[in-house]
Amino acid sequence: MLRDRERREYALMLAPYLVGIAVLIALPALITFALALTEYDLIRSPRFIGTQNFRDLWDDEVFRTSIRNSLMFILFAVPLRLLGAVSLALLLHRRFRGVAAYRTAGYLPTVVPDVAYALLWLWIINPLYGPLNLALGAIGGPTPSWLTDPRAAQWAVIIMSLFVIGEGFIVAMATRQGIPGELYELGDIEDASPFFMFWRVTLPLMAPTLLLLMFRDTIFSFQANFVPALIVTEGGPPPYATTYLPLFIYRNGFEYLRYGYASAATLTMFGITALIVYLQYRIVKRWRHAFVV
Amino acid sequence: MADLRFAGVRKDYGEVRALRGLDLEVADGEFLVLVGPSGCGKSTALRTAAGLEEVTEGSIHIGGRDVTDVKPAYRNVSMVFQSYALFPHLSVEENIGFGLRARGVKPGRARDKVLAAAELVGCEQLLERKPFQLSGGERQRVALARALVREPDVHLLDEPLSNLDAQLRVYMRAELKRLHQNVGTTMVYVTHDQIEALTLGDRVAVLNEGVLQQLGPPDAVYRRPANRFVARFIGSPAMNLFPAERMDGSLHAGPFVFEARPNLPERVEVGVRPEHVRVDEGDQGAAAEVQVVEMAGNETYLHLKASDSPLVARVGADVRPPVGSTVRVSARPADAYLFDAETGETLS
Repeated sequence: MLRDRERREYALMLAPYLVGIAVLIALPALITFALALTEYDLIRSPRFIGTQNFRDLWDDEVFRTSIRNSLMFILFAVPLRLLGAVSLALLLHRRFRGVAAYRTAGYLPTVVPDVAYALLWLWIINPLYGPLNLALGAIGGPTPSWLTDPRAAQWAVIIMSLFVIGEGFIVAMATRQGIPGELYELGDIEDASPFFMFWRVTLPLMAPTLLLLMFRDTIFSFQANFVPALIVTEGGPPPYATTYLPLFIYRNGFEYLRYGYASAATLTMFGITALIVYLQYRIVKRWRHAFVV
Repeated sequence: MADLRFAGVRKDYGEVRALRGLDLEVADGEFLVLVGPSGCGKSTALRTAAGLEEVTEGSIHIGGRDVTDVKPAYRNVSMVFQSYALFPHLSVEENIGFGLRARGVKPGRARDKVLAAAELVGCEQLLERKPFQLSGGERQRVALARALVREPDVHLLDEPLSNLDAQLRVYMRAELKRLHQNVGTTMVYVTHDQIEALTLGDRVAVLNEGVLQQLGPPDAVYRRPANRFVARFIGSPAMNLFPAERMDGSLHAGPFVFEARPNLPERVEVGVRPEHVRVDEGDQGAAAEVQVVEMAGNETYLHLKASDSPLVARVGADVRPPVGSTVRVSARPADAYLFDAETGETLS
């Protein structure tokens, strides 16, 4: 049993965190719920309109496009980001000369501020003088118009997200390092090929962590494209090729001052995210016998 | 089945020399135990035989074939690790059949072999389970079955019993011995436990600091240790060792006095095993103070101090002199081991 003094000490230590959660997360979330049922432009007082915002969203072509764009982004970005993180982890989990520099390089894009990172990519994918198209042209590859071709712009945002995988890379690397080396030594003695070991040992033993990373990355990816879409592609090219849900919400809230509408869109995005994670969970649960360790 | 030979094997890890020219032959079908303290190079020797470590110098031969540069997979050896190295996500059956599957053996044939191996070690009822559902002893059996299933030329076992509790270890020791008698395959067994070494091995190889100290049957290693290190390392409690002084044709070693043989070197040490220390409450022998009395069930260890020398005596369970009392200690000359104090070699 905790004594009163200990209780007070714990409460004191927890207080900053609890206050932070209450003020920065819980309270805004509650306000968002409330605002979603109102019409509010920061000038006039909020006016209760029931579910009108949600019905308007349902009829809003741009909103539907932004949902489609977000889902397509997740469909490609999440598996590719996971693949990138795991590949880096498998390449760099061993100790060898210079590995620390490679690991740092792998993690570095994650700590670059989002805006600086986006500005850098604005230069990289510039169709006239950007190094990406210069390199592609030099090897005879295609040189897409990244900023004006809708499909290319969507791929540009996906490609940008593929280098910000530091956290997934570190978690995957720690997981790989946690697999006992003796299992691989046994594989050497038993003539197991690298592919056999990867498929039968490494992947199943990393699977629980990879699934966790997938859940986390799905949630993260819904929001991760905001800065690139805002700064690099500006939601375009037409018609709204890179307007994802976060950008749609931002524009409605902060540019068009439709706070109630933006709040309703935020709640919808929250619902879609929860639904996708739930579906993933159901699939994993069905296949869990393959992953139980 | 095949023999295994280390020919002048040296293994360096940077500045550290783990093996210093190991010459050792393991006969076809023999159970050889490599024993020594931590860091003596015994596991390194085993790993070089498996091909998991490259040798710095020298060569390794299995069945007369030089396998020094041959990959582990093509040496036809099996290995049992201290941690068992069972795949946690695979069933017992899949664990045992792992090597067969990796080598592309057809499922039907693999299953027959897995069943046969499982029956051999008595784990056929566990095939559907996963490792986390097994006890330490059961995991041990599964690891052994996996080693047996492919019928390799040589089994290499790296301290496979050290994770088991004392009672189970004794039981598994006997099981292992029985298994070897059944399959008759060459086995090299690494341990730091001298009791395991003496009870299991057809022959015992004692290693220290990467150098083979003695190779021979357990009885010979115990009764005729080649040097001071082997004498102290093999036997529990360890042999009592005293620097000897020569006076009037006698050797004075701690509380003991023996007749000095001719042609002894300048400095000599005398060893007496605890079971050879005679403890008497009469007036025969030197006086010794009882400092600690350790009960070990069927025997008692007396920690004594005599002539300023500490010594241990192993006596019957009924002999329990009070702490602080004085007893008399003596030893037969035939039970005394003489060592050259400079080189540590046994003086014959």
